[in-house]
Amino acid sequence: MARPVHSFVCEIGRVCSKAELKASEQPSALWVGVKAQKLPDLCLACLQAGGVFDSAFTYPSSISSHWAAVYVFCVPKLSKPVVLFSHAKQFHSVSAQIPAAVWDERKMREISGADFIGLNDLRPIIIHPESAKFVTNPLRGAHAPGRRPSARERSAGHEEPAGHGSEYGFAGTGEEGEFQIPVGPVHAGIIEPGHFRFHVGGEPIHKLEVRLSFLHRGIEDFACGRPMDGVLPLIEQVSADESVANGVAYAQAVESLASIEVPRKAESLRLILLELERIYSHLADLGGMAMDVGYYASSSRFATLRENMMRLNGRVGGSRFLRGLVVVGGMARDMPEDSLRQIRTSLRLFSDSLAKTEDLTLSSSTFIDRAFSTGRVSPEVARRLSLVGPVARASGVPCDARKHFAYGAYRSNAVRESLGQGGDVFSRFMVKLGEVKESVRLIEHQLAQDIDGPVLSERRDLSKLPSGRMALGWTEAPRGSCMFLVRSANKGALGRLAIRTASWRNWIGIQEAVRGNITADFPLINKSFNLSYAGADL
Amino acid sequence: MHEFDALLSPKTDRIYADSPDPAIRELALFLKSRPLSPFSRSIAVRMVDCGSSNDVELEEGLTNAPQVDCERFGIHFVASPRHADVLIASGPVSVNMKLALEKTYRAMSRPKAVVAAGDGACTGGLLAGAHGVYKSGRVEEVIPVDVKVAGNPPAPYELVLGMLKAGQILSKKRI
Repeated sequence: MARPVHSFVCEIGRVCSKAELKASEQPSALWVGVKAQKLPDLCLACLQAGGVFDSAFTYPSSISSHWAAVYVFCVPKLSKPVVLFSHAKQFHSVSAQIPAAVWDERKMREISGADFIGLNDLRPIIIHPESAKFVTNPLRGAHAPGRRPSARERSAGHEEPAGHGSEYGFAGTGEEGEFQIPVGPVHAGIIEPGHFRFHVGGEPIHKLEVRLSFLHRGIEDFACGRPMDGVLPLIEQVSADESVANGVAYAQAVESLASIEVPRKAESLRLILLELERIYSHLADLGGMAMDVGYYASSSRFATLRENMMRLNGRVGGSRFLRGLVVVGGMARDMPEDSLRQIRTSLRLFSDSLAKTEDLTLSSSTFIDRAFSTGRVSPEVARRLSLVGPVARASGVPCDARKHFAYGAYRSNAVRESLGQGGDVFSRFMVKLGEVKESVRLIEHQLAQDIDGPVLSERRDLSKLPSGRMALGWTEAPRGSCMFLVRSANKGALGRLAIRTASWRNWIGIQEAVRGNITADFPLINKSFNLSYAGADL
Repeated sequence: MHEFDALLSPKTDRIYADSPDPAIRELALFLKSRPLSPFSRSIAVRMVDCGSSNDVELEEGLTNAPQVDCERFGIHFVASPRHADVLIASGPVSVNMKLALEKTYRAMSRPKAVVAAGDGACTGGLLAGAHGVYKSGRVEEVIPVDVKVAGNPPAPYELVLGMLKAGQILSKKRI
């Protein structure tokens, strides 16, 4: 065990005796096993030692009727995540101390049926009560995800989830004269479904509750039991404009699990694809913000740029969403020299056009006036809720996984992190604009290096992989970091897949960002976050 | 001239029968053969995402990009199903969205037509059989479908053609 890792384990290990702690280091993460009673203490110790809460997952334990709870913390000083895990029938909730974990624990509780002592919010989060009667295939054996407690278990102390079969139970702040505005699931624009419940006193929003999961299809569950190298098309269905980022994160988890070495050329091509994806994804946000302040002259130019980037993707990758290119062990195919040349020429012209569009947008007082000081997220809130991606960076919280938890070709290509200060819509606009420019620089730098060689690893047979091994994989998707946990079953099959996307983390942030703003500014704030509904619902 | 050059004076794509893009060729042929009917000049479209990975929605959004500019074909996206002639739905239909899809369809006045956009909406796609997907995931399981547009996802021009075909079907429907 390396020295910083050892001293970290000693630091967090102070809250319990040494015999209770089982630490093992892997290339992708540091795993620390502990008794369920000690888990909350250890989580807090992890925070105090500089960790940032990332995600919490659950999966059926090998011990009968037990569940494993996994809490992942990102520790910048170790440059890798730390995973605290424990096997038990019931757990102690940490969400009172770590508010970011509320949604994760609600989801874990609903999947496992295990109790989380101290968890106050017991509303179901994945399958809506009014739809529960349609769920035909959640039960794969008594130990499967999606399980609901049986009648016997309920009588033995399991309670029916609050709101089951009735209203969801939205709760306002209780101020006098407050009323509710329900919005969704079908919205006015061309976007995905989700329900927003505004508690307002006149114009100002007192509180916003986001109810998601309208797009829950069960990808995590559905992928299990399939060959590990065959589920990438499913992963690409998580969220379309993060297809590459999610695909690479999953591939990296499996590669780390099976110790597959990815060729340098493949890593370089992955970087190009990841940055192309970031460019077209951010262009949608930038154009959307201009559109939502009613500045169509700017938004239509961003839309033009975006459609051109998508067409470029289609020409060089065969898919406008760059799907089907990333595989476990490298890339499905090499990119011909001609494609790389096309990217180079297009990006040069793109940069000129972007600069002109930027001038056009920032010279408008209408835009500045609407965007400035709207939807502010303070650095404290960003840290407390473990927000990720451009949202956190706009509040001045450094969190770029490409820099602090470098992977693939980013290990040898330093990323300049764009940071803002205001935490408002304007800062998010500037951070995203800065990231588009940085992406252009990274791609151009990568193309100039002229790396050659194979794009697919020779040794990528997964059939002899022992079952029960776990690994993490992560990337910095356009919306922020995503985390994949992969557990192997027999003969190279996938035993358990758990996904935490950036959108899942940041939806809680939007509830804070709108507080005190007027209802009419909500679309603008929402667009400046631009979170994926499908990516959070899975 | 390179496509990125003309940016600050955006140009819409020319629709002609020998375009290198097969979707544009098909659209050109359709527009040429389209008979005049009460709905052929203008249709109001309401979209509902019932479980796609947001790919179909992003492509629908890009039908409004200046290059494609779907309004020149008479297609206008509206905010309410009460204003809509055509419903465009993507899938696979999730159990949590089934009710919302039914309600949206019921809220539309007759005559109305439905476009199932994307592989998920037409066949259930890759995720048919997942526990959160309603039955086979096809939109047909929930509401009647008039036009199917395949693709993972379909490109903007394919969506435009699908919506125009639905507009043509409308004129044959009883009010």
